[in-house]
Amino acid sequence: MTSTLHKEEMILNLGPQHPSTHGVFRLVVTLDGEQIVDADPVIGYLHRGTEKLAEGLQYTQIIPYTDRMDYLAAMLNNYALVHAVEYALDLEIPDRAEYLRMIVMELNRVASHMVFIGTYLLDLGAMSPFLYAFIERENIVELFNEICGARLTYNYMRIGGVKWDATPDWIDKVRRLVPMLREKVKMIDNLVSGNEIFLNRVRGIGKFTKEEALNYSLSGVNLRSTGFRFDLRKVRPYGIYDRFDFDVIVGENGDALDRYTCRLREIEQSLRIVEQAASQIPEGPVMGKVPKMIRVPAGEYYASIEGARGELGAYIVSDGKDKPYRLKFHRPSFVNLQILRKLLIGQNVANLIAILGAVDIVLGEVDG
Amino acid sequence: MFGFLKGMGITIRQLPTKKVTLMYPNERPQWPERFRGVHEYIPELCIVCYQCARICPTSCISLSGARDDNKKMRIETYDINFEICILCNLCTEVCPTNSIRMTSQFELAEYTRDGLYKNMDWLYHNHVEHGSFRAMQAEKERAAREELEMPVQQKSDDRGGDK
Repeated sequence: MTSTLHKEEMILNLGPQHPSTHGVFRLVVTLDGEQIVDADPVIGYLHRGTEKLAEGLQYTQIIPYTDRMDYLAAMLNNYALVHAVEYALDLEIPDRAEYLRMIVMELNRVASHMVFIGTYLLDLGAMSPFLYAFIERENIVELFNEICGARLTYNYMRIGGVKWDATPDWIDKVRRLVPMLREKVKMIDNLVSGNEIFLNRVRGIGKFTKEEALNYSLSGVNLRSTGFRFDLRKVRPYGIYDRFDFDVIVGENGDALDRYTCRLREIEQSLRIVEQAASQIPEGPVMGKVPKMIRVPAGEYYASIEGARGELGAYIVSDGKDKPYRLKFHRPSFVNLQILRKLLIGQNVANLIAILGAVDIVLGEVDG
Repeated sequence: MFGFLKGMGITIRQLPTKKVTLMYPNERPQWPERFRGVHEYIPELCIVCYQCARICPTSCISLSGARDDNKKMRIETYDINFEICILCNLCTEVCPTNSIRMTSQFELAEYTRDGLYKNMDWLYHNHVEHGSFRAMQAEKERAAREELEMPVQQKSDDRGGDK
């Protein structure tokens, strides 16, 4: 009897300016009562054509553009491009520059995860964790402001090293900050992870298996939350990650709660790396020997790093000139977003934001 | 129930802590030395080498110059379009004479889009108001003072030699 009943479907337009999309992201949801029948993500509102613009720019000039892709983890974006070019040129990087890069990258990962925790809880309706997380993030951002003169668009790394050496007491400030952050992470853990309302809200929603994650070629925390141990920092240690001692955090169930806990645990691991790097950092130059005009030899090069949201890669096609013939960024947010439709179908509309938030996308990176 | 009490405990612990918000228009933020704010421009130092215009990723700098009576290049116009400038600092990095620099000035609100097209006068004014003008003046005065003092010292040495 129920199957012959005609049901009127409703189309709900979420976004482009919805606060929980963290950018301009439109989601056209077809609803049957409370149930989601279909979800159609519409992207491109923040498209600036980074890859096309890069074709007309020298490699150094592209670096400020990468800042604007994943604007919550701009240091990692800087490194993705710089690392690909260095890999193509087979450059030698001074030790101090490598250590400074590791410190800023891991601090940036912490800052990025802090934003995730704060905004995810805000989307679920908890106001104060957002404020706590942003207070801690502010400390990191202020440190970045001191070393490279900007709070969000750093433009710090250069091909062959970094732009500036650390100011005299900067490393000490990092050393002092790490225990402070560790304490605050414990506090947020205490405040949020022990809260029954939050646990019951996110447990078991947005669930996918290992196989599904691999089929959708997810990476980063989204993949690790299913229990698949894959972290580029361990699998293929780039830079000097092989010198540090840290664990890869994996989840079990692959639900929203696991993704939240993985990110929280990853902050602790990142802080471990920062601590080790800050204690081992040697003196020396911060810029290696780089040719005045950077010309990548003709050919195709791909180098990827573990970004804050997954595998962040830069694919360079060069014809031997000082500008790339084609530059493609493997942007993890864009890839991770593709599973959203599958996760949403059949779910209750109230879970929509909780599922979208847990995937952790940044629209600057999705649209490129 | 237990988690709720824990949350309340953390809230109560926050009560005596200091406020972290900056009351912005009344309180001004203290920027570090390397802060990349709006540019300053010092025309006397510029040698019109076009390096800043060439390195700019957004091509927001346009300039022109001509040779003066001493056959030296002199700047005539220097404009930065702050509608498209991304404050990436590459222009100050390549400048051989440091005639373009970044200041700690960050307020750039205008009523019209044309207002963001800044010329040489505005950028020099930025140098005087917010930039390194005072530091440079102090440096000049110090150099002038040293120049004055140096011959005096030499004289006294000479006199010592005479004796």
